[in-house]
Amino acid sequence: MTTISAASPPIGRTVKKWLLPAVPFAILVALWGLAVLLFDPPVGVLPSPALVFEAPFNSDPYLANVGASVQRLILGFLVAASTGVVVGVAAGLSKPIAEFLGPLTTFMNALSGIAWIPLAVAWFGPGTGMVVFIVWNAAFFLVFGNTMLGVRLVPDVLQNGLLTLGASRMDVIRQVIVPGAMPYIMSGLRSGLGFGWRAVIAAELVGASLGLGAWIFEQQEFSRMDNIMAGALTIGVIGMVMDRWLLAPLERRTIERWGMVGSAS
Amino acid sequence: MTVPTGGAAQAAPPTISVEGLSHSFTDPQTRKTVHALDDVNLEILPGDFVTVVGPSGCGKTTLLNILAGFIRPSAGKAFVNGRAIERPGADRGVVFQELAILPWRTVYRNIAHGLEIQGVAKPEIDERVNRMTSLVGLEGFEGHYPHQLSGGMRQRVAVARTWVSDPEIILMDEPFAAVDAMTRLTLQEELNDLTVRTGKTVFFITHSVEEAVFLGDRVMALSARPGRIKEEVHVPVPRAERSWERMSHDEALQDTVEHVLSLVRGEAVEPTGQDG
Amino acid sequence: MVKPASTTTATGKDLGAVRAAQSESPGLFGVAGLSSVIRALLPFVVAILAWWAIWAVLDPPEIILVSPASVFGSFIDSIAEGALPTFIARSLARLGIGTLIAIGLGVPMGWLLGLDEDVAQAAEPIMRFFNAVSGIAWLPAMIIWFGFTETTIQAVIVYTMLFPVAFNAMIGVRTIPKRYRDACRTMGAGTLRIIRDVYMPGSFPSVMTGLRLGIGFGWRALIAGEFVVGTTAGGGLGFFIFDARTQGVIGKVMAGMIVLGVLWLLMDRLILRPIEETINVKWGAVSA
Repeated sequence: MTTISAASPPIGRTVKKWLLPAVPFAILVALWGLAVLLFDPPVGVLPSPALVFEAPFNSDPYLANVGASVQRLILGFLVAASTGVVVGVAAGLSKPIAEFLGPLTTFMNALSGIAWIPLAVAWFGPGTGMVVFIVWNAAFFLVFGNTMLGVRLVPDVLQNGLLTLGASRMDVIRQVIVPGAMPYIMSGLRSGLGFGWRAVIAAELVGASLGLGAWIFEQQEFSRMDNIMAGALTIGVIGMVMDRWLLAPLERRTIERWGMVGSAS
Repeated sequence: MTVPTGGAAQAAPPTISVEGLSHSFTDPQTRKTVHALDDVNLEILPGDFVTVVGPSGCGKTTLLNILAGFIRPSAGKAFVNGRAIERPGADRGVVFQELAILPWRTVYRNIAHGLEIQGVAKPEIDERVNRMTSLVGLEGFEGHYPHQLSGGMRQRVAVARTWVSDPEIILMDEPFAAVDAMTRLTLQEELNDLTVRTGKTVFFITHSVEEAVFLGDRVMALSARPGRIKEEVHVPVPRAERSWERMSHDEALQDTVEHVLSLVRGEAVEPTGQDG
Repeated sequence: MVKPASTTTATGKDLGAVRAAQSESPGLFGVAGLSSVIRALLPFVVAILAWWAIWAVLDPPEIILVSPASVFGSFIDSIAEGALPTFIARSLARLGIGTLIAIGLGVPMGWLLGLDEDVAQAAEPIMRFFNAVSGIAWLPAMIIWFGFTETTIQAVIVYTMLFPVAFNAMIGVRTIPKRYRDACRTMGAGTLRIIRDVYMPGSFPSVMTGLRLGIGFGWRALIAGEFVVGTTAGGGLGFFIFDARTQGVIGKVMAGMIVLGVLWLLMDRLILRPIEETINVKWGAVSA
């Protein structure tokens, strides 16, 4: 269609695309640095940007904690993804299963993740097992729900087409159902991972001695604000990298490849 | 607005005049420069019904967007009543290609919207909207929301909303493209009736030659990109006497359709048409 | 985000071809004639029976699992003591206040982002980043800044809700067809008028979606906040559960969890979703 303004040259656009987002970050860091200079707050309340950026290099347990959190996330997420997809496909194909699991999962989804932490501590004791359970709990219902929805929305025509060619039920599931539902599955995996990461942090906050969540909570007792902020920012960076650079492109490619309508956000 | 229809208004100054209009823009996808219009000259007199017909992508909509004030032309000028067009204004009502009535307003409130914006007093809004709804056959649907209506009904709302504010000129951009063929015939006759009765000045864009001939006093045949006026064709039968019934019998009208068709047909070389 | 909860009400797309080929009869449980209420309750009955069976067979220690009956007993006790109702009220009040603040900040923010391409290009990445940091991760820092107080809990909720609300308000504005704006301009409307008549109502459905999403996130953040800060900040449902676990009363823990789930469902089904659905029914699909 027609554009109204005279189009800006491509070079200017590229610069704008990379420069504009950097500006707020730069302003924020500058203001933060300025505030520290002007008001000289106790280092336990607001350390300078430099101190926070150095914190990971000065603190030995930093990498071990990051590693522990990421490991738990991956573990819990893998279990959630595989169980969620399998059960989701089953429920999408079979009405009795869907009718049975539907109300239960709706309810469980309403209190998924964080609310289970105290009970999980009682069951598994503090540590990795409990965190993995919480991650599974936070992600499973999203993966399940989206998979079931995706399977249901695969047009019957496609399945019939394959069946008339003499395909078996497993063929249909492998070649039609799963690919057809893939955009929904991807979108479920993506939000599942997001919920899972938050759940890791929350679980570690109250029920682990290792991991980013545990670490920043422990540092709070020593008023090590530099470590706390470094930890919080690390949590953000990891969450962002996973979502934006790993799962969002994957989801986009799935949607583009199979030409299904995706979802916002 | 009691100017007689037809070309009888020679003495009156043109309501819209377009001089040496050219426009090019950069396609946001391909980054290529597109020459949409080339040296278009045009005069629309009060009470005129001018239709523009041409192949897909010939710059018809660009021309309308310039007259509406959404786009500034690259070269040349467009005037309304002697004033250069710079921005959209209430003197030029637009009926859009896609439906632009608001889904969250009822039929009544959609039609009243323009009047509300212009600050017309409530009793007068009531009276004018009621007159309009009966004029376009929307009585009884005032409380409905757009999604509850058929395509044809929605299009009537779009027309009524523009008409009720009584703008000097109405610009219409393929308003009936999205409705089914039967409804379209009805809507076209209704529109003809409405314009004859109200004596409105209308600038109407379409890719259907028959529609252009059926509705217009004059038909501008546009060439493929860059759009240029190939010929201005006068339609021989007065608008007040037209009907689809007559269109199918009248030889003069048939010949006009043939003639315009021959002008446009040679132009439809681009396979990249976007509308059917 | 695809709403997983909607799967229960989604598209009555019936028996797929595979099932048709299988030619199954009415249903595993023979519930074809039963009312939908019983149909929805049946899974819960089965689940509770299974729980009971597991408890009876394994005979686990009381700090691991208790019977449904004893959870119900704990529930009644907690209500009688008055602790549970007070804590429910406190948690809901926190969520309510957080919601209001998040709407007040997030919606205008989202509108601004939706209206101005350049502002969006500049501000979206930093907002995505801080959204990824998540409110829960700020808990330790907030404890230092605000202490173990109400303010800390409230700040975590608002922080958590703010981004989904803002992003959806932005999406709402962006997906409004440009023609609506153009049409209003041809009728002589100025910018303020267009914001009032087009952008505000047009983005409303999306704002509601963001709100539902945000409250879902905020609800979890609230629970986490109350786990950590609840002791000194006057309790709350999260504190109730956490405290019960510290005392080793699993019956109370589970009762609290069930209350949590039921409350959320009630909120979602009785308030949030009806508003969304009413709008959809009344206006149809708003964005083209």
